Amino acid sequence: MKKDFRITYPLWNMAFILILAVMAVGFTSSFVNVTKTDSSLSIEMQAVEGFLLFAALIAYLVLTTIYLIALQAYNRKNPGKKISPFSMRPPEYMEEDEGMTFITRKAVQKVYTFITWTLPLFALIVMLFPIPRLFIVWGILALAFGQNLIYYLEMRRHLKEAAE
Amino acid sequence: MLRNRVKELRARYGYTQSELGKKVDVTRQTIAFIEKGEFSPSITLALKLADALQVEIGELFWLEEEE
Repeated sequence: MKKDFRITYPLWNMAFILILAVMAVGFTSSFVNVTKTDSSLSIEMQAVEGFLLFAALIAYLVLTTIYLIALQAYNRKNPGKKISPFSMRPPEYMEEDEGMTFITRKAVQKVYTFITWTLPLFALIVMLFPIPRLFIVWGILALAFGQNLIYYLEMRRHLKEAAE
Repeated sequence: MLRNRVKELRARYGYTQSELGKKVDVTRQTIAFIEKGEFSPSITLALKLADALQVEIGELFWLEEEE
């Protein structure tokens, strides 16, 4: 069970989200707007943004490759419960029997509670305050990160208890 | 609260959690959740467990009032 790809799946998601957060710096122009009055600094920030975007793209490609290799290895070892990288259904759901369905439901309920509170709150903050585009993107990614973290910690707690 | 003697009876027959799980078609983790009282099994699973451990279902599971 420890090597079950479904348990570590949220960690992969979290790693991808972190890379996207770095990539977002390159895709948004907030820093450039802030430093428009000082042209020399503006050029410097654009270079930093360009570098971050390039580095994040490389990191994303590398992580995707490692992810696909790990997924392929898992599928080879577990032909009965293969995971498709293109599945619409989150592969981290563990529902092979009623006990596993029970803990998955508990973890999903925690995530739902988190999203129910944070999403409208975040929308309200964005509406009330003039937040730069980069911070809005980071906020959305932080919610996605939090959702994966909550799910992972809850599942790990139950499975750790079962292992004792 | 639902109490059970799954751990005690499993030990009596010398089954591991995995072996008992295989007998009743569930994962080892589900047996562990039941033994810890974290999860109350369905009637079907409770009956299968009673059958595997050769006891009446009432001897395996019972309700206890919470204090």
